[in-house]
Amino acid sequence: MIRPTFTTINVSDAPPPLVCGPVTRTHFVRYAGASHDFNPNHHDEVYAQKNGNKSVFGMGMLAGGYCARLLTDWLGERALRRLRIRFASRFWPDDVLTCMAWVTAKREADGDNEMGLIDCEFSAVNQAGEVVIRGDATAALPR
Amino acid sequence: MDAKAAGATFAPYEFPIERGKIREFADAIGDPNPLYRDGAHAAKLGYANIVAPPTLLRTFLYEPKAASDALKVKDWSYIVHGEQEFEYFAPILAGDVLTAQDRIVSITEKESRRAGKLQIAVIETVFHNQRGEKVQVARRTLVETGKRIEP
Repeated sequence: MIRPTFTTINVSDAPPPLVCGPVTRTHFVRYAGASHDFNPNHHDEVYAQKNGNKSVFGMGMLAGGYCARLLTDWLGERALRRLRIRFASRFWPDDVLTCMAWVTAKREADGDNEMGLIDCEFSAVNQAGEVVIRGDATAALPR
Repeated sequence: MDAKAAGATFAPYEFPIERGKIREFADAIGDPNPLYRDGAHAAKLGYANIVAPPTLLRTFLYEPKAASDALKVKDWSYIVHGEQEFEYFAPILAGDVLTAQDRIVSITEKESRRAGKLQIAVIETVFHNQRGEKVQVARRTLVETGKRIEP
């Protein structure tokens, strides 16, 4: 994939959406082990239902990892300066998440003439269009 | 939550960034990027070893309990993880040994129609590598709801 530069990128530019899933309980368990997130709502069906959930549900940071991948695939692994993930709603086994991002601003990087900064927003939505997470990021791109 | 905990700092803790953990984490988020697996590929891009993905360090924030204990939460089922932020200063490579220090930045209150009185705590963790370089800052926002809401 050809990576955008500060010169070529523009406000409202967006990468092709990244579609993840259908997600399964196995994805949740694998992420629990990898991330050390052992909140039982994410792996223990009996506990999750007793707690008022229809089943176990996915970790917000798993959806955050999907969106971070969208950004690094698009802008490069060196580009990110800041990433903020805001958790909006739960997602469930069999959901399909679509991760999207778009540029909201271009600005100068203080004291660095070779790079410029972009701000972008991103979200992961389920198959019904409901937002699971949303967030914003700042990245530095070469000119 | 105990609003008096705002401003508290906690003892630093150390942990290694292991190659296998990076790969395991990349597999778990379904990211096939060779930079998270292949040392030769990383070397071609100018890195001395494979690199940590952007959200990896949240992994090391579950176990240290000093900061979350200091919030004196009565019932964690009333707590929602509202937000997670990372600031990136330098790459984190397999083989690095990071030192992390937690600080409770703020505890504020807000009224919410849906969930009653909210208390919002921000815990910041600053990560330095074995050369003393600041590599990353993580901030997590925990929200205590006045009444129980859907997680």
